[in-house]
Amino acid sequence: MSAFLTYLLNGLAVGSAIALVASGLVTIHRVTGVVNFAQGTFAVIAGLCTSSLLGLGFPHGLSEVAAVLAAALAGLLTGLAAIGRPGTTPLSSLIVTLGVGVLAYAVEIVLWGDQPRSAPGLAGSVTLAGARVQTQHLLVIGVAAATFALLALFFGRTYLGKALTACASDPYAARVVGIDTRRMGLLAFALGGLLGGVAGVLVTPLRPISFDTDVTLIVNGFAAAVFGALTRPVITLAGALLLGVAETMAAGYGYGSHQLEVALGLMLVVMIVQASRRPAISQERA
Amino acid sequence: MTARTWIVAGLAGLTLALPAVLDDSALAVYVLLGLAAMVTVGVSLLMGYAGQVSLGQGAFYAVGAYTAALLALNGVPPLVGLLAAPVVAALAALVIGTPLLRLRGHHLAFATLATQLILLSLAGQLEFTGGDIGLQGIPQFGVGSFEAGGASVYAYLTWAGLALVMLVTHNVIASRPGRALRALATSEIAAASAGIPVGRYKLVVFALSAAFAGLAGGIYCFYTGYVAPGSFPVLLSIQYIVMAVVGGLGTIWGAVAGAAAITLLVQGLDRLATLPGMPAYAPGVLSYAVYALVLIVVVLFLPRGLVPAVSGRLTGKRTKRADR
Repeated sequence: MSAFLTYLLNGLAVGSAIALVASGLVTIHRVTGVVNFAQGTFAVIAGLCTSSLLGLGFPHGLSEVAAVLAAALAGLLTGLAAIGRPGTTPLSSLIVTLGVGVLAYAVEIVLWGDQPRSAPGLAGSVTLAGARVQTQHLLVIGVAAATFALLALFFGRTYLGKALTACASDPYAARVVGIDTRRMGLLAFALGGLLGGVAGVLVTPLRPISFDTDVTLIVNGFAAAVFGALTRPVITLAGALLLGVAETMAAGYGYGSHQLEVALGLMLVVMIVQASRRPAISQERA
Repeated sequence: MTARTWIVAGLAGLTLALPAVLDDSALAVYVLLGLAAMVTVGVSLLMGYAGQVSLGQGAFYAVGAYTAALLALNGVPPLVGLLAAPVVAALAALVIGTPLLRLRGHHLAFATLATQLILLSLAGQLEFTGGDIGLQGIPQFGVGSFEAGGASVYAYLTWAGLALVMLVTHNVIASRPGRALRALATSEIAAASAGIPVGRYKLVVFALSAAFAGLAGGIYCFYTGYVAPGSFPVLLSIQYIVMAVVGGLGTIWGAVAGAAAITLLVQGLDRLATLPGMPAYAPGVLSYAVYALVLIVVVLFLPRGLVPAVSGRLTGKRTKRADR
């Protein structure tokens, strides 16, 4: 039973990290209609930045915040490339973000080399109801919960957040009432970078990050986002937690080598079921 | 004969004569270029004509390579192995495509990417595929008592394979189903209303492009004598997209030109990067940077004629968001 609880909590931590990556994906997709393939890259950049800054002797806290800001900047730059040019279709933008992700490989290898890097996080572990859990896992869960609460407040209570939501639900109407949809799109990309950065900073102490970790991160994030049809943050969060728990349980109960297949298979099934339940017309339009 | 026919015949003759004069390292480029072109023609057909994006074309390349390698290692004549490679790849595409092709746009892109990751992960774990180490000591290609000794034999084999792929694609495009494909790339609903069996045609093109990739994979495994999951990274699939987009989607010669341009560019930079005094990471960095920059620049600044089919698929979306 305590093993089960350990797996559950670890799974929730893994799921929380996935949820942060996925929430960036959802934020960007809602506002711009673009699926951002470089979302995993933001996490990688933040993770590598943290490890470097800590290595240079900067204190905890400062290093993490600087790394997250670097990821937000990367998000903004990605946005400029992907939607900065008027008339870029969403699928072209997807291919551009794919290009940005590969370009980031080149930059990351020059700056950090191609070996995985790690960063120290919160040390020690806590015993909860007979289950030992690493403190860093609890930190990941806590930060993810706080981030989602802040996001909900931001989208629901602030003018800027409402403007973003307006762009998401109807870009044309948003323009009519005087919202600059392009600037909102760039803001969404920066926010996506920020969220990806938070995920990266939190994950780096748990598992070493190298330049090509982004594929795993983006595929998991996309799998979670697919649960909410890439638009609904709450269902995305639920999907991410489910995914994280499923993966950790699979690993814990002896199917560790099939972790990736579990996540990807789940994603494929969800997508296919969703596609078969939606009429073709709404898919071509939406 | 028209001017166009003369040019094609001239090009064919020139490329056929090349292997006789090239040295071994140039022949390696020749073979890799030809194999990349074979896969890219399939990607271009799939993206340009059928309007479907596959980020997992490397998976079918791998299926072809593993099929030919496994058969050859188990004593089956290499020719049979090579012929089986495209067939097995096409069958795999039929099985995978039946559920996946219900998806479209970015969903399909991610689904195909996921398929490749799953296949690679399985190949890295299963006993009979040799795990992460892969399969080694694949015999040379040969027919009957003739055995391919030098690289030039593989160059001719690649040439013949590419010629076959281009001929098949040309005939598909020029046929009635080819016109139907162009129609369904624009709007599946309109195409279906006009009586086109949309689902079946998409599946057939998917299988056909997989067969091209499988054939290329088959030749690749005999040429290198070695296959492993590491030979087929996700970047390989992205590379085919870059080549197809650069050359112009939906054109046979565009795909070949794109494959040639990117392969030669990357090979040239590789030479540059391995010069003395360059850092050890230079080859990887330069090729990543080239793929990325070429892809971004072409998609953003030369979209007309390069991504018409992809953007055409989203016409509905564009009109809705045109005034953004």
